[in-house]
This record gives sequence, structure tokens and C-alpha cells, in this order.
Amino acid sequence: MPNAILDPTGSVKSKAAAAAAPRAPRPASLRGKRVGLLINTKQNARPFLEEVGRLLEDKYGVTVTKRTKVNFAVPEPDEVIKEMAAENDVIVTGVGDCGSCSAAAAADGVVFEAAGVPVAAIITDSFKPTADAMAELRGAPGYKYATTAHPVAVLTEDQVKERAAQVLDDVVALLTDPAGAASREAGA
Amino acid sequence: MTADLTDGAAAAAAAPDPDEAQRAIEYCYEQGWSDGLPLVPASKPLVDAFLATTDKDPGEIIGSLEQVGRDVTVYLAAVNAAMAGCKPEYFPVVLAAFEALMRERAARGGGFQSTSGPAPLIVVNGPVRKELGFNTAGGAFGPGFRPNMTIPRAIGLIVRNAFGIHPHVLEQATQGVPGRWSICIAENEEESPWEPFAENGGVGGGVSAVSATLTRTMEFVDNRHTPDHEDVLRDFQDTIGRIGSLIFPQTSVALVLCPEHAQMFAAAGMSKADVQNWLIERCGRTGREFRLAGKGNVPRKPDGTFAGEDEVHRILSGPRQIPVIVAGAKNAAISMVVRIFGEWSGTAVPVVEKK
Repeated sequence: MPNAILDPTGSVKSKAAAAAAPRAPRPASLRGKRVGLLINTKQNARPFLEEVGRLLEDKYGVTVTKRTKVNFAVPEPDEVIKEMAAENDVIVTGVGDCGSCSAAAAADGVVFEAAGVPVAAIITDSFKPTADAMAELRGAPGYKYATTAHPVAVLTEDQVKERAAQVLDDVVALLTDPAGAASREAGA
Repeated sequence: MTADLTDGAAAAAAAPDPDEAQRAIEYCYEQGWSDGLPLVPASKPLVDAFLATTDKDPGEIIGSLEQVGRDVTVYLAAVNAAMAGCKPEYFPVVLAAFEALMRERAARGGGFQSTSGPAPLIVVNGPVRKELGFNTAGGAFGPGFRPNMTIPRAIGLIVRNAFGIHPHVLEQATQGVPGRWSICIAENEEESPWEPFAENGGVGGGVSAVSATLTRTMEFVDNRHTPDHEDVLRDFQDTIGRIGSLIFPQTSVALVLCPEHAQMFAAAGMSKADVQNWLIERCGRTGREFRLAGKGNVPRKPDGTFAGEDEVHRILSGPRQIPVIVAGAKNAAISMVVRIFGEWSGTAVPVVEKK
């Protein structure tokens, strides 16, 4: 009987993917909701998310609060997740425009969803594979996020605003579920 | 004639079966375990020989990446080191190198996933260099020597297999770094005029030790006709101050000095600290130079400090931002400026063999 060839991966499931992560229920509309912006400190992330927040205020009368990520490269610490989940109805995070920060945006999204808060993570389109891989690793294969064209860091102030306006419909669609919310209410 | 034939047949019978070996190698490729080069298929007896070189428990966790939720155990490190082509007796050095690397904030953060695709720079000191047959002389950055090549490869395989960070997926290097997972220097202590590098990391007394950091690339300084050591230092100053690599107000570089440059500085009465301080005081560019390269905001410190258009913004803040290592042959005055990704932890890890 020959020796087996050993597996160098450990064949272990990631601890992060211990359970299939649930997706938070969506409200029917953002009207009057509390929106938390989780800004990842990358170049232009702040004006981008602030413009998304401003447009949501204008259109839906939301209230916006802002927070800066502790470390753009890794998911937020548990206490931040807990606080933001308590203080907001929905969260918008980004802009994932690098290897670690796009993955971290997806990871944050999955964790907030598990805490019951819908998230729209915004990443640049160059980083879809790494965001998808991270979501899968976290037990949320196919996790949906919004994309904007890469790069964002070189855009002027006006161009950033334009991009924010372009991604707005996707953000709203990610955060709301008019049909689902209506049927939940009908069932209740 | 007859005797020759018999000898040939006997030799063939004693030699390993290449067809079987090739099947095993292909099997490893098919599993997605390889970095692109053939792997040594690891068996239990081989991995047991690695585990026998350490007192650590095979189940002990020696590194974790929180963001991917994966841990590296001593056992997994041993399997990957075996596959990388290490000999079992290299394993204590692999463990020390991995520990040293995981002390780097950048490695624990997003370094392995980064668009900059940084490479570990591993430095080995002490008697283990000779005991294991490291190259301590010419061609310090490789190739040609088994421990120098396979130990950093083992680290790369651990990141790929045990952390699960694969190119184009969780690893997003834009171009990466030439020599990624293959840079392991054994310091040329014999021709260095100064204390071994491990002593700068807190491990002295001739104890074998490993230091590690991440690098984004390196650039040579070829200066072999200059008698004045300050002219040579100015040449280093120019290379260290390149704006292209500067993205923050402060940066870090390792100087990998050839013995000739190191000995020239020592002959001028300079200690390692003197060389570091000479460069710390001078390396940088003016605010204008940054601005003209589109990087006017780079020298602005987080607290808003900006020395101005005409002032030189110093880019090295202390000796930890400019570690000095002596490596290579004493045959030409060619040294390397290594750009560090993040910041060196400033520590060395002793190589601990089984008691």
C-alpha cells in the first residue's frame, strides 16, 4: 500500500464560513431611514460616499451618519459592527479599489447582513473576483454589491459626484425590496 | 561489456521510478497546490521527519489571517515546506521565518492580497547558515542553493495553501515583484565589518536567527570607482529618494550592502548606525519635486505638517526604517536598495531546534 500524498491546505473550511450567512431583510423603501456610511479611507472614498449620502438625503429624506474604517485592509472589529448595526437601518460602504480593501468591503457587508442590517458595498469593477471569493469564504456565495468603473482614485471632484449619481440606483436596489417587504407585511 | 550491462541494470533497479514520480507531481498540480513549479509530493514519513525537528506540537497554530479565517498549524507548515523542496532539517528555519514575517503588520493585514504584490525578504544569521549549506557569498539573491530557494518558497506555499490566497482571486497583485517567494539572504557575516543583522533585531550572541519583512522591489547602486565614501553615500541617497516609490510621508528601505561598500564605510570610521544616520538626515525630496511628480500631497503628514516647497521632506524617520544587511561577494562594489512594504518589525526570531 503506497503512502498517500498529503494535502497542504488542511482541507479545513474557513472559520469565517462556519455557517451560511443570512441576508438581512430589506425595507420597502429608504424613506426616513438611518443610513450609515462606512468610509474605507481610500483616495476619493470619502467624497464618493458623502455624495451618495447627500443624494439619498435629497431623494428619500434619510439621515446620514459617517464612520471611518479602522483598517481598510481587514474587516471591521466586532464592536464597530455592533454599534453601527444598532445605530443604522442600512449601511453603505466602500470604495473597494484594492486587493485587500475590496475583499474587506465584501466581508463587512456579509457580517452586517448577518447582524440584520442591509448593506450596499461599492467596489471598483477590477476587484469583482476578490470580492466574490471573500463573500464565498464568508458563507455568502453570490453576495451582491455595487460596482463602479476602475479607477476612482484619480477622479476629480465633479467626476466623483457623477460616479456617485450613476451608482445610486444600484445602491437603492441593493438596500430595498419593495415586493418582499410588502409580502412580509401581508403575511404578518 | 557484460559487466557494464549488469551495472546499468542494477543502477536502473535502484533508481526511483520516474514515471511514478511524474504522476505524483501532476497529481499535485491537479489539486491546485502548486505555485507553477513542480512540487515534491509530501508523504507522511517525509512530513514526520520535518515534525521531528521541532518540539512544537503539530497542532499548534503559528499564524492566523483574521480576514480569511484561516490558521496555519505546525503540521501544515511542514507539509508545505516538504512540498517546497526543503530538507527536514530546514524546518526550524522555516518556522522562524514564518514567525518573523507574521510579526510584520503589513503581512497580517492585507499584504498577501495587495495590488503591490510584495515579496518576503528573509535574512538568516548565525551558525545555521553553514550547517544547512546556505549561500552566504556571491549571488546572494539567488538562485543556485537549496535552502536559500526552498525556504522562501515554503512561505509562499503556506500563504497559497494554508491561507488560501491564490493569484487573481484573493491575491490581486497588479504586477507583483520579481523573485516573490524566492528571496532568502544568508548574511555574509564573515566579510561584514559590523555586528550581524540579527543583533539589530535583538538576537545576539551568535545565536542563529531569522528576520523578515516585505519588499516591493529593489534597485542596485553600482559605484565601484569612487574612493570617497561620502560620494558613495550620496549615490545611495539619490536612489533611496526616488519619488516613484513614495506614497506616504515616510518610507522604509533595507540597504543590502556588498562587502566592499560596507568595508569602505567601516574603513572611514562609520558604524552601521552612522551610515543609517547619514542617510536619515539627508534622504528626501523637496516639496516642489513631489508636486511636479503629481505627488504634492505625499509629504503632507497626517497632522497636516508640510515643510514647504523648497524644503527637503525627509522620508526616513529612524534606524528601523533603514535596516542594513551585508550580503554578496567581495568582487564588485554593487549594493541593493530594497523598498520595504510597510515597516520592518525590528525584531529577529531565534531558530529553535529540537532539544
